[in-house]
Amino acid sequence: MRPDASARIKAAAPQQGPSKTVIGAIVAAVVIIGVVVAVIIGSTGGGGGGAGATASGNAVPVGATGPGGGIVANPGKSRAGAPTLELYEDFQCPVCGAFERAMGSQVTRLAQAGDVRLVIHMMSFLDANLHNDSSVRAAAASACAADQGRFLPFHAAVYAGQPTTEGEGYTDAKLRSFAQQAGITGDALAQWSACYAGGKHIKYAQAVETAAEKAGVFQTPTIKVNGKELALKDLTPAYLADQVKAATK
Amino acid sequence: MRQGGSATLRRGPAVPDAIGLLARLALGGVLLVAGLLKVASPAQSALAVRAYRLLPYDAAGYLGYALPIVEIVLALLLLGGLLTRGAAIGGGVLMLAFEIGIISAWARGLSIDCGCFGGGGTIAASQTHYLEEVLRDAGLLLCAAWLTVRPRTAYSLDQRLFG
Repeated sequence: MRPDASARIKAAAPQQGPSKTVIGAIVAAVVIIGVVVAVIIGSTGGGGGGAGATASGNAVPVGATGPGGGIVANPGKSRAGAPTLELYEDFQCPVCGAFERAMGSQVTRLAQAGDVRLVIHMMSFLDANLHNDSSVRAAAASACAADQGRFLPFHAAVYAGQPTTEGEGYTDAKLRSFAQQAGITGDALAQWSACYAGGKHIKYAQAVETAAEKAGVFQTPTIKVNGKELALKDLTPAYLADQVKAATK
Repeated sequence: MRQGGSATLRRGPAVPDAIGLLARLALGGVLLVAGLLKVASPAQSALAVRAYRLLPYDAAGYLGYALPIVEIVLALLLLGGLLTRGAAIGGGVLMLAFEIGIISAWARGLSIDCGCFGGGGTIAASQTHYLEEVLRDAGLLLCAAWLTVRPRTAYSLDQRLFG
């Protein structure tokens, strides 16, 4: 009798094992939990984006146009009617290094002469790509240099010392040597070190990245003259000079 | 009662079941690779979604964090052939969303990497691969459509568990 009974039971309830509904519910639960965990980990800065850098406070460095704004590299120098030249860069970006080698001295000249108001946004999205935190630490270090009035020299020193292998990054000691090369010495160097070691401008650096992305900048270097983006492929010293001249009132 | 079915199985899977198997492996395989390559880099994944400039900053970030998880779960279901129709609908919705994103980025003249397999963000205009990306996702969308219409496939957990 037994085989008959089991056959009847099987016919009445063909789904032995777990039902589709149960499996579906388990899968849905796995997805929901996984997504919630991923969003929490992502939102708290896991997996790059300066996860390792310690931040304290959200001080805005000297010369910044605001929280998340770029740093005015030539404060008080630009003449009336001079256009704003904005650079969006990442200290780990090789193309930015190439840009600095090719056009850095011209940009510095324009800034020192007051022909432009030079605003530099130090982004840090390459940290996520390269799985380190060198971009955000270097950006914060440059903000500490801005506090000492040496932003542009520090900026030049970092690009001059950019590792030839992308992703090698910058050690704390390396950044300190850039500060010294930028002419930060004595008390100023002590203040720079305290600022850097205390992570005083890490949050500012992260805010710059966020603000740049919100402004639609997802590539470095991005160069804007009075808000108008210049195509990298057109970029030559003569073209930059023309664009600046055309934008001067 | 599957006398016909078991007779077919002994001769090897029926052609439509084999096509379904291939569709499952293609869609599931691509989703698995895409999900695994992104899951360890949530910040990069969020940046890739933001670079499409279709969603508000925060919403794009959440989508970037969530996407790899959803892709991996759907991939495992498809590769195992479990809840095939539901997983295929999910995969199809993803492919449709990707197509909309890529075509709209293309139409708006953005030059971005699709970020499908990690990476993402702005790239030089000469480095964009919009046509290849659109065609690949269209092929995967076809796989999803097939499995939605005919979820019965060879060597699937669905068949083993639910007959």
